[in-house]
Amino acid sequence: MKRFASLLAVAALVASACSSSSASPSAGTAGGGSMVVALDGPAVYADPALVSDGNSLYVEAQVVQGLVGLKPGTISDVIPVLASALPTVSSDGLTYTFKLRTGVKFHDGTDFNADAVVYNYKRWQNFPAGDVQTAAYYYGAVFGGFGDKSNVADVSAPDQQTFVIKLKAPQSNFLLASTLAVFGIESPTALKAGDADNATLANNKYAQGQLGQGKDMVGTGPFMFKEWVAKDHYTVVKNPNYWDSANAAKLDQVIFKPFKDSTSKLQALQAGGADLAFSISPLDVKTAKDSGLTIIDRGASCNQLNLAMNQSVGGTPTIYADKNVRLAISEAVNKSSYVAAFYSGLGKVPTGFMPPATLGFKAETLPSYSVDQAKADLAKANLTADQKTIDLYYPSNVVRPYMPDPKGIAQAIASDLQAIGFTVNFKTEDWGTGYVDDATAGKFPLYLFGWTCDWAGADNFLYAAWFGYQNGQPNPQFGWKNDQANTLMLKALAEPSEDAANADWGQVQDLLAQDLPVVPIVNSTPPGAYTSKVHGFVGASNGIEYFNTVTLSK
Amino acid sequence: MARFIVRRVIAAVPVLLGLSVLLFIFVRLLPGGPASAILGQHATPQRIADVNEALGLTRPLYVQYFEYIGRLLHGDFGSSYVDGTKVVDVFLLRFPSTIELTMGALFFAIGLGIPLGRIAARHSNGLIDGIVTVISLFGISIPVFVLGYTLAFFFGVQLHWLPTFGLADPTLGVPAVTNFPIIDGALASLQGGTTAPFVDAIAHVILPSIALGSIPLAVVTRITRAAVIEVSNEDYVRTARAKGLTEKRVDNRHIMRNAWLPVTTVIGLEAGALLAGAVLTETVFNINGVGSWVVDSIRNHDYVVVQSLVLIFAVIFMVVNLIVDIGYAFLNPRIRYS
Repeated sequence: MKRFASLLAVAALVASACSSSSASPSAGTAGGGSMVVALDGPAVYADPALVSDGNSLYVEAQVVQGLVGLKPGTISDVIPVLASALPTVSSDGLTYTFKLRTGVKFHDGTDFNADAVVYNYKRWQNFPAGDVQTAAYYYGAVFGGFGDKSNVADVSAPDQQTFVIKLKAPQSNFLLASTLAVFGIESPTALKAGDADNATLANNKYAQGQLGQGKDMVGTGPFMFKEWVAKDHYTVVKNPNYWDSANAAKLDQVIFKPFKDSTSKLQALQAGGADLAFSISPLDVKTAKDSGLTIIDRGASCNQLNLAMNQSVGGTPTIYADKNVRLAISEAVNKSSYVAAFYSGLGKVPTGFMPPATLGFKAETLPSYSVDQAKADLAKANLTADQKTIDLYYPSNVVRPYMPDPKGIAQAIASDLQAIGFTVNFKTEDWGTGYVDDATAGKFPLYLFGWTCDWAGADNFLYAAWFGYQNGQPNPQFGWKNDQANTLMLKALAEPSEDAANADWGQVQDLLAQDLPVVPIVNSTPPGAYTSKVHGFVGASNGIEYFNTVTLSK
Repeated sequence: MARFIVRRVIAAVPVLLGLSVLLFIFVRLLPGGPASAILGQHATPQRIADVNEALGLTRPLYVQYFEYIGRLLHGDFGSSYVDGTKVVDVFLLRFPSTIELTMGALFFAIGLGIPLGRIAARHSNGLIDGIVTVISLFGISIPVFVLGYTLAFFFGVQLHWLPTFGLADPTLGVPAVTNFPIIDGALASLQGGTTAPFVDAIAHVILPSIALGSIPLAVVTRITRAAVIEVSNEDYVRTARAKGLTEKRVDNRHIMRNAWLPVTTVIGLEAGALLAGAVLTETVFNINGVGSWVVDSIRNHDYVVVQSLVLIFAVIFMVVNLIVDIGYAFLNPRIRYS
């Protein structure tokens, strides 16, 4: 018993020692210190050109910069970064000429110049087929493919401060999509030395982040790569020689730590072990506020949740092929009640078919909530009793920024649909092991599905994510056949600029409002939180946020 | 003894081979595939097909299996479809954390469970026995994640005594020499002349060890109690007492020496299970161990990782059991393997 008591005493001593040492691990001072940032999950590759996940890009955006970027806190204000000004564009929309900043150096000490930009663009275009092209999703998505399939005709460096890119066809999303962190310019010297083009990614130490400081993820940003411990943490440190001294990093280092569990993440913030969490559950917002945490102000939404009504499943028309049914459902769902119940004040009822801050957005007059009107419109469809028994699909084992409680939202929608005469059967599938596959393959008739923007352009929501034809046929996800809309979307994509494409996108949205293939449910801003020690953080709903402005108080 | 070990190793080969076939089939029976995990919201039927083609998953299953086994026999456990990391590299990075967590849990369970079991046995059917029984029931009844969150809330969030996540404070920048946080912390302390890294590593392991060790604690306590009571009633114990030996000597030489056998068996089984099954604790305390890795890999349909990891777990389980069996011989000289 005496030994047991001694053991307890030792444990108490350790605990008391820890209370002063490690429970406040990031005791930095203003103008320095270490910040711990909780990510939603592990990052994938240390080479930004090879990733398409938000966790990787969140880390890499601190280190690697592109020619253009987004004004901090916005989702579509394009600003020059490594370019000294926004590019000039030829009248045919095919040639973009960027003037580059002078005096910029990569983290390995080599010069940033037009040759380096050309090297990066050629590298991306010539990524080998297989794993590398799969990983480098965004290049293919933005430019229509790799190699000869790419819409990039040529890149050149007439002089060291001028970079010219020629496209095969005008591309309205070129400038906005170029703000993606995947188009960050890395040091050609480091890429070559690190064998970054090794097509076997398991043996590609540059991609695996195993080469160390100054050799991996070598960009020009306010932070430099320090350490990449797979699935555990990723550390970036202050760049003492940052080219833009006014915006140099104030923190000594930022450690990004993946968290799998939202409760664990919240407790880490509350206990002070983490300083900022990229996201917390919307259901935890009140708890976070009550415990003194600040909810990140992310401004305008860059996502949308829809209730999709697939008009054709397996080649057979569904009841949703009848516009009266779609209209009735649009009128039956009480969207404002869902927003109030599930989004902790961080969601808004959509006024169109994509978030309002998206370039090309047009507000539409959407059906308003009216049970009586919904019943009347449903009656016009003359559905049989069997047809009024419907399946509603929602994903399980997932929380999406636009869908914090899929089951709860599905139940709320079902309740509203039952009020107009439907009998609703719930169906669910695991998000990762079937839901996405089956939804995109067009196997669900009525289901929840949303999108978080890659870039805040109409093309990203309306064409790439949802309604663009696939292989000349309507996207099986929605079975929405509208050749006019598809033609307009293709025309908009091929306009020389986003501004020029706006009229086309506007018409597409008018057609959507006429046909109602989906019910827009919510535009949300995903909640994140930080402790009272954090100052100067600027949030953005597209997940592009920078830490160079952040300071930590004691 | 050597022949016994060789026989056990040879017997393991068909077991592992059969397991590899079952695993290979099992992971592919799960709905979906790795393409969804790789593509995320960008998944479309065409892109999924392209990724499956790129990963070689469209080839006949037997070709994939023999290719996998061929690589395995050359010591190549493969790499992740999702992030390209080699299974062996990540295993060597993460397994030390799981070992440390398991050791912490066992330290807690054995260090507390055996004394409690002995005390309960000595006062069997009395008040103390009742209290110990209640403690055991709590240990078994409270789900690990509930206990974990509760411990983190009280000792981390409320009292700020102990950290709530990980096995080391990343801001201390302790170099990963062995990947065992406590050992690395100790090395850093020795080099830096400060106790902070070592104390930090000890502090990080306390709460998860208690959470993970709660069920083994209950089991060890109950088994110790039962074994001690059973042995105490043996004739040779009575004879020992009749010979006039001190109670301490009877307890140590005659009761505990024999009571150790069932307790050792249970500890061995618990150790094996903890090494492979600390998933919930690793999740609650955000520990980068192998338990949560295998679950993530199953969710991502990262076939090669799942196959290789479960095979490694099976080998670990076999080795732990072998060690337990060998331990019997040392604990009880009457047992001899031939």
